[in-house]
Amino acid sequence: MRYQQRIGRMSVPGRKVRLATAAMLVATTMAACGDGQDDGAQVSAPKAPATIPELTTDPLTLSFIWFDWPPAQALEDFANAEYKKERPNATIKVNTVPNANWHDAMFTQFAARKTDFDIAILDSQHIGEAVTNGNILDITDFVKNNIDVTAYNPYLLAAYGQFPQAETGQRDENARLYGLPLLGDTWTMIYRKDLIGDQPPQTWDEMISVAEKCQADNPGVSGLAFHQANGSDAAAVTYNTVNGVYGGNLWDPKTRKIEGVLNDAAGQEAMDVLVNRMKPLTAKGSGNWFIDEVNAAVAQGKACIAFNWIAASGGLLDPKQSTLGTTREQILDKLGFATLPSQKTNLVPLGGMGMHVSAYSAEANQAEALNFMKWFERADIQKKWAAAGGVPARTDALESPEFLNAGPFNQVYADSVPRMRDMWNVPEYARLVDIENTNVNAALNGAKSPKDALDDIAKEQQAVLDSSNRRGGGGL
Amino acid sequence: MSDPVPLTTDPGQVASATPPAPGRSRRLSDRGLAVAFISPALLLLLAMSVFPLLWALYLSFTDYSATRGGPARFVGFGNYTAILTSAQVHQRALTTLIYVVGAVTLQTVLGFAIAYLISRRTHGRGVLTTLFLVPMMLSPVVVGLFWRFMLDAQFGVINSLLGSIGLGQVEWLTRQRTALISLIVVDTWQWTPFIMLIALAGLTAVPKYLYEAASIDRASEWFRFRTITLPLVWPLLLIAVLFRAIEAFRLFDLVYILTNGGPGVSTETLSFHVYKVAFLGFNTGTASAYGILMVLVVIVLTQLYLRYLNKLKEG
Repeated sequence: MRYQQRIGRMSVPGRKVRLATAAMLVATTMAACGDGQDDGAQVSAPKAPATIPELTTDPLTLSFIWFDWPPAQALEDFANAEYKKERPNATIKVNTVPNANWHDAMFTQFAARKTDFDIAILDSQHIGEAVTNGNILDITDFVKNNIDVTAYNPYLLAAYGQFPQAETGQRDENARLYGLPLLGDTWTMIYRKDLIGDQPPQTWDEMISVAEKCQADNPGVSGLAFHQANGSDAAAVTYNTVNGVYGGNLWDPKTRKIEGVLNDAAGQEAMDVLVNRMKPLTAKGSGNWFIDEVNAAVAQGKACIAFNWIAASGGLLDPKQSTLGTTREQILDKLGFATLPSQKTNLVPLGGMGMHVSAYSAEANQAEALNFMKWFERADIQKKWAAAGGVPARTDALESPEFLNAGPFNQVYADSVPRMRDMWNVPEYARLVDIENTNVNAALNGAKSPKDALDDIAKEQQAVLDSSNRRGGGGL
Repeated sequence: MSDPVPLTTDPGQVASATPPAPGRSRRLSDRGLAVAFISPALLLLLAMSVFPLLWALYLSFTDYSATRGGPARFVGFGNYTAILTSAQVHQRALTTLIYVVGAVTLQTVLGFAIAYLISRRTHGRGVLTTLFLVPMMLSPVVVGLFWRFMLDAQFGVINSLLGSIGLGQVEWLTRQRTALISLIVVDTWQWTPFIMLIALAGLTAVPKYLYEAASIDRASEWFRFRTITLPLVWPLLLIAVLFRAIEAFRLFDLVYILTNGGPGVSTETLSFHVYKVAFLGFNTGTASAYGILMVLVVIVLTQLYLRYLNKLKEG
């Protein structure tokens, strides 16, 4: 009896609870829908002030986000040592994430419209996505008032800040700027002087022949080592480099055509060279190698010729990490650094990154970020950055003894600047590079024929560019 | 209304005759208390599970992108149609199917075999069980990282062992066939103990008198296993298989660490593909539809499986 009464009493609150729950869900859903609609107003990058606002005197931490590699620690140490002399209340913190998570770590925070960093260190290819989504500040007016743009090679200034991209390799004076150079970079050819001689090969064909002979003469040492992984932009940059050297093009930016351009005769030849002539000269199982693995192969004396980013090559001279010698000098007796060989063209890949102010950072931090960027681009600071191991972008710093004497590969960078070619910085970059990475990686590891891989890249990338007005299914 | 409480000097009698909560207000009724206690958990569940699911369901009918912003345009079943007809999705579904079948079969056979062997031991059973459970307690990311080093073609310990017995180097993670097999092996190493644990519980629960009766009838070892052990443990084992199959179906972490989906896309599972759709292009609408479809597949397959289990029990 009592049991039945209890059931009877329970039914009313039960219904109430269910009704309240339903109401709450509807209300939350409506609120969330509202958010989505509000976002529509913000589709372009907000502008930074032309002059630096008044800076705070309170303690402030200026946070960067980058991926985990030696230049990140170098930047934090350098900035805390030098910037603090002028802004004692500011502390620089460079937050790092694994390279593979770098894009996601930044853009998921951008998506949440709230960032725990003030300055995003973006790859040049990320700029399009960030600008289109309104994630970073438009600093065109700030640059006009605070930065001497004539002090830079125009292409460097354009590559790390301009959108739309400088396709011609020249800066467009009328284009908007969204960032300033932080670290210049390109590939260097690392070669074993003790195995192939002091003179580096001058052409790509010669380089392959030399590597072939070196591998045959030195059992246990592979002829080549280069990036082949399907993460980040590893395999894609490798193919793009060979493509450029053999006279190919990634796309026609005016017509936005990839199909028929990337996989033309030059593109096919480049893929054939990469898969059928270069890959057989690499170590077994190197199909997932990226920066660290290539460096490890060089440091352990397991490669005759290797290709890697200059900014990641400093560790090769550390005797603690190398089996090539017990001192830096001994290692340098065996290792040489040279610009990439040329073939039909002398193009080299543009690497490096720029500084970009988060649109969601607090106003005081945005002001501090602008002040930091102005400070960092000063001639004297650029030279100090070069001496600290960084790669500057200002021409005077690139030509300074502080930079040229700081590392054996710095002359390589200075010589490579006029030869650089970047890849797309369109908003669809992340998907384009994934398509290229996975297909080049498949070709390198025997999962696809070179021709099929290249045709698939062209077809799938074209579909991405053409799908902007597609109704549903975007991203597949 | 309760009866009046009689005056008495016996404290025990007072306690038993007193109504449960004479001064309790209506708000503090049993039902009210239950709601009060359940509400925090319920709210958390609604906020963290139910709402995101409903929100994903809503987004799955739109072309919304988390980074591009702007209003979400309604695209009807466009996302669902695109996913179901996409050759890329079919390829990932096949990879996932091969992986799930391979990994769960291997784990079931090994897990049951280990459990059977342990259950026959009288000494050291606890220690052995604990040791076998260690892999299951590790984070999949940690497991992926150390297996990545072990399987490295150049300096990995596996190839080193193969080399010491005169076998050649194997490219475990960079060849199409071996990469998927490597994933299955690593997952099996980590999750076989789960099957073993449940199978062990089932084996322990088999009544001893059945074996005693079989012994009296001079039944063979195989006959006892086939007619007593297996039928009694089977339903519990199938539940373990169900859990493992659901887990394996949404495999992401091991793929991310070990192969990153490579070579090419040959080890990309459905979950890994959803991740790419969601975070490379930030196609939130498509990714939501993809996720919903995966949930539906799991629900439908689970329902069919549970029906089979119920039939088995009834039988």
